[in-house]
Amino acid sequence: MTETLLSVRDLKVSYKVGRGTLDAVDGASFDVPRGSIVGLVGESGCGKTTVARALTRVIADNATISGGQLLFEGRDLAAISEREMNAMRWRDIAFIPQSAMNSLDPVYTVEYQLNEVLRKRGGLGRAQARKRCEELFEMVGIETNRLGDFPHQFSGGMRQRVAIALALALNPKLVIADEPVTALDVIVQRQILDQLRELQQQLGISVILVTHDISVVAYICDRTVVMYAGRVAEQGTMEATLTQPSHPYTMGLRNAFPDLQGAASGMLTPINGAPPNLALPPPGCRFAPRCPFAIDKCTTVSPETLEVAAGHGAACHRADEASKLRKLATRTETWMTTEMAEA
Amino acid sequence: MSHLKAAASRTLQLAFVLWAVVTMLFLMFRLMPGNPLAAYIDPTFTEEQQQALMAQFGLNEPLWKQYLIYLGNLLQGELGQSFRYREPVAERIMTLLPNTLILTFSSLIIAYAFGIIAGAWLAWRRGALVEKTAIPLVLTTRAMPEFWLGMVLLAIFSFWLGWFPAGGTRPAGANYDSLFALYTSSDFLTYLALPALTLAIYSQGLPLLLMRSNMLDVMKEDFVTMARIKGLSNWTVVVRHAARNALLPVMTSFAIAVGYQLQGNVVVETVFSWPGLGRELVNAVSNSDYPLAQGAFLMIAVVVILMNLIADLLYALLDPRVSHA
Repeated sequence: MTETLLSVRDLKVSYKVGRGTLDAVDGASFDVPRGSIVGLVGESGCGKTTVARALTRVIADNATISGGQLLFEGRDLAAISEREMNAMRWRDIAFIPQSAMNSLDPVYTVEYQLNEVLRKRGGLGRAQARKRCEELFEMVGIETNRLGDFPHQFSGGMRQRVAIALALALNPKLVIADEPVTALDVIVQRQILDQLRELQQQLGISVILVTHDISVVAYICDRTVVMYAGRVAEQGTMEATLTQPSHPYTMGLRNAFPDLQGAASGMLTPINGAPPNLALPPPGCRFAPRCPFAIDKCTTVSPETLEVAAGHGAACHRADEASKLRKLATRTETWMTTEMAEA
Repeated sequence: MSHLKAAASRTLQLAFVLWAVVTMLFLMFRLMPGNPLAAYIDPTFTEEQQQALMAQFGLNEPLWKQYLIYLGNLLQGELGQSFRYREPVAERIMTLLPNTLILTFSSLIIAYAFGIIAGAWLAWRRGALVEKTAIPLVLTTRAMPEFWLGMVLLAIFSFWLGWFPAGGTRPAGANYDSLFALYTSSDFLTYLALPALTLAIYSQGLPLLLMRSNMLDVMKEDFVTMARIKGLSNWTVVVRHAARNALLPVMTSFAIAVGYQLQGNVVVETVFSWPGLGRELVNAVSNSDYPLAQGAFLMIAVVVILMNLIADLLYALLDPRVSHA
């Protein structure tokens, strides 16, 4: 077992909404082993981006980390002072945003923005920073004569490469990539993912890759953390979670996505319904209202994470029947019945 | 190459606008009721003398011919004779224009410098008590008529406290070797203070509110969030990234505000007896001094058009997306 770089324990992030609060993340726990790519996957509003941002502690004004621990090399990021946290930002934990277009400042050249990080945060001198800029551009495969260009002069894929260069500038230990390829077309997606993987292995960094696209996880990740409605539904190695999903939600997700490799395996089957309103989450399992396998217990008792294999857990009351459910889940009719039941 | 082309087409556009303004000015004064020479001609003049005068000014010619003469004269910088002062309009305007420009730019620069800094600061302190009290205060200054504000400032600082003179540009009887000596004298500054302050208070609301609302928008942008995630200092995040981007539309509004300010000057120059173009324009119109009024209008139009050009150029300078497009 490799050493754990980051251990998220029972993380809770709450948003103040009107007079009440909403727990966008409600007790999420997962580990990031050093040198691995962990895919944080789930649909919109499941809390994956909130988890990612909580790790930088730059969260929305109305949000607070209301519980849990973020143990980074044993140090709890949720408990240290803002000053200590700021010292770690970008030097230890860097971020690749979804839309590099909007996350690069339009009025400065790319070199200025790299320099800003290298000199103000990395303490490099002018000449060193220049050298590092060129190094970083070579690393991500952009000609160094484009350093003086403004963000709008780059194509979408190139901007994403610039964002990667920016994230790697200070040799961070952990890079959080929030939907890094979502805004790109499939061919460029692959190029960027290949590059990310290559650099990650070359530099030995750890990556948390936030995505809604399970095929991206299959393509690049070592481990998978599936989130649903603010909680972790299932986690394990990528192979285990995708070939032997043990939570009905993961089974459903697999049916609902085409392969990035392009092997069309017939019709896609959607999961009917929508995620619950987090201001009024259902009692018991949060997936129960959409789950074709829900039993009475599911609607009353919140499931604990059950270890189905070493390092592979699912928060499902019926996780021990997973192999039986998996067979049922491949049938389209199984997922039709929930629609009937709900209607 | 494309830069040159863009600049050329821009200049051509401006030339067209200028021509349109000139034509409108010409027609406007021809359409006004009353004989333009009424103020000039003495009632004791005989009919022949009057006709001779009309001929001298070219007023007996058909309209199209008058128009061509007018355009021809303009091209040579000839704005005609003032009826009232019996001196060339161009000369008169050139002595007044610096006063107006100094008043306009000093007040606007103060207003914008204050407005930009205060607006950015208020956006940063969004929701705090300062913001809640400052915004209604700014709106109040926006709502105050400038002549009233001018009178209040006069009453307090000039008549009551006696800190500043009540009007004009120089002490009575004071003479300066040159205009430059006048404008750089400390006396001039004390005369400039109150009218400039009046206009500055009146004008700061626009840049302040504009800057604040732009800032609030920009602060939500991803690149500002990213700057925080990078661990950059508050100063860098707020000033270098948020304020720098929020500044763009404010700078454009500066150039346009110069045009508005020239209108506003009419009132303030009158209140403070400031010998500027605005006050002269009012006098010229009420005295039917057509050539002078026409010349003053034209001058104001030229300044507005030039400021628009400067706004365009400035925007290209400040926003790389425009200059590289």
